Amino acid sequence: MSVFAHIHALSLGYSHTPLFSGLTLDIHTGMILAVVGANGTGKSTFVKTMLGLHKPRLGGIHWPNGRPPEIGYLAQLSEFDRRFPIRVRDLAAMGTWKGFNPFSGMKATTRGKVDHALDQAGVLDLAERPLHTLSGGQLQRALFARIIMQDAPMIILDEPFAAVDQNTEQHLLRIIDGWKKENRVVLLVVHDLSAVLDHCSHALLLGNGAANFGPVLDVLSHDRLVAQGYMSESQASWMIRRCREEGGQYG
Amino acid sequence: MGDFIVEMFTYTFMQRAFVVTTVLSASVAPVGTFLVLRRLSLAGEAMAHAITPGVVIGFVTAGLSVTSLFFGGLIAGVGVAVLTAYLARNTILRSDASLASLYLISLAVGIFILSAAGSAVPLKSFLFGSILGVGDATMVLVGGVATVTLLTLAIILRPLIMSTCDPVFFESQMKRPWIVDQGFMFLLVLNLLAAFKTLGTLMAVGLMILPATAARYWSGTITAQLVIGFIFAFLSCWVGLILSYVLPETPTGPSIVLVAGVIFAVSTIFGPLGLRSKFKETRHV
Repeated sequence: MSVFAHIHALSLGYSHTPLFSGLTLDIHTGMILAVVGANGTGKSTFVKTMLGLHKPRLGGIHWPNGRPPEIGYLAQLSEFDRRFPIRVRDLAAMGTWKGFNPFSGMKATTRGKVDHALDQAGVLDLAERPLHTLSGGQLQRALFARIIMQDAPMIILDEPFAAVDQNTEQHLLRIIDGWKKENRVVLLVVHDLSAVLDHCSHALLLGNGAANFGPVLDVLSHDRLVAQGYMSESQASWMIRRCREEGGQYG
Repeated sequence: MGDFIVEMFTYTFMQRAFVVTTVLSASVAPVGTFLVLRRLSLAGEAMAHAITPGVVIGFVTAGLSVTSLFFGGLIAGVGVAVLTAYLARNTILRSDASLASLYLISLAVGIFILSAAGSAVPLKSFLFGSILGVGDATMVLVGGVATVTLLTLAIILRPLIMSTCDPVFFESQMKRPWIVDQGFMFLLVLNLLAAFKTLGTLMAVGLMILPATAARYWSGTITAQLVIGFIFAFLSCWVGLILSYVLPETPTGPSIVLVAGVIFAVSTIFGPLGLRSKFKETRHV
């Protein structure tokens, strides 16, 4: 595993609201990094900094092999215009729009790739449907198909399971596992800790002005979850007890 | 009646009006479609008022020539668009609030200058345009704007669709996402100026927005909406022109926009995505 990105002494915040400071970590290829924290702790700001959309107050990100030309990105579903008049197939094809000639249609090979991506995401049968007819879960799958089309070495997912049912979440998690095998980096902003424990190798816990990074079990310990304001004493004890019963990593 | 219609086409001013509105439809309809999809329908109206002071200053300083009106309006429109984007990005005001503030100031400045200069041009021609008095310069202006608009749209169509559908994703994928946004606002100003000369400041946006909102009721794909939007705009112009010819003393600009309004009303009721679909859903429940 090689270092994909080196984050050095990173401090984030807005003019009067510091979020956290002094975060240093290495992101390796094939790492699935969970970004966990209560609302307003800077998860989305961290993601936007990785995308180059937000300027850090101090520190920065160094890319040893250069910034990847393509970063897969899934924003929170609430920011998406679901009434926009396009079909599922066209939404997925947007993942490769940079390679399109403005004066010609989609090539047959791209069309095949789009079908494959839709199939992987489990929405090939909905390919011709307009977006406004989809459920929240179906739309999220279609957006995953777009990320598959991007074929990016790094993929950032901001709360991808917020509006989807259990089946869809499991399906999407299997896709994420596949990306790990392909040595892609995945940054996953998520609230469901059982998904984090089962699928992520590392975690970044934000809260109370601190940012802690490390292997999932070290970071998401009872004491840290409480200290960083993510859970109360009783919630953290209950969560860890439940995870032990399920025989997960805590067992 | 047939002779009456044939006779209508023998007049040069009517021939010019039909040609210029057809070309104008091809240009303003796609811009209108994206305005609606980008939730900027009201911003289009605001921008139409924002170009007024530029047009008026152009008129007061250089007379009623197409060139002076065009460049005056272009400077005012682009100025307001850029300032709106700047305020939205750097202050607490959202773009709708900053645009509303700026266009109101702009409109007041325009009317103030026009009155102070003791203009001999009737205000009516500013408000409703003069489609039956289309000269060569206006024909060239509308043709030029249509050419620039269609070529630009062809080039930026995919990025424009993406930035409209999912602006957050688009921003994450582009180094300079504002180029597409500002480019589109530039096209909007250009088309308002072309429509301004023919339909006037009050009616210019009507031909842009109404066919686009009506088309929204008929199709779930953007390509079909672009085509249907043009057909509706074209029909509005032709039927509106014929109406104002058949009924003497009726103003042409409002007549065109009124036909577009009827098409909108019919689409709202009978379009597959209009009220009809709502009633169908209710019956199934």
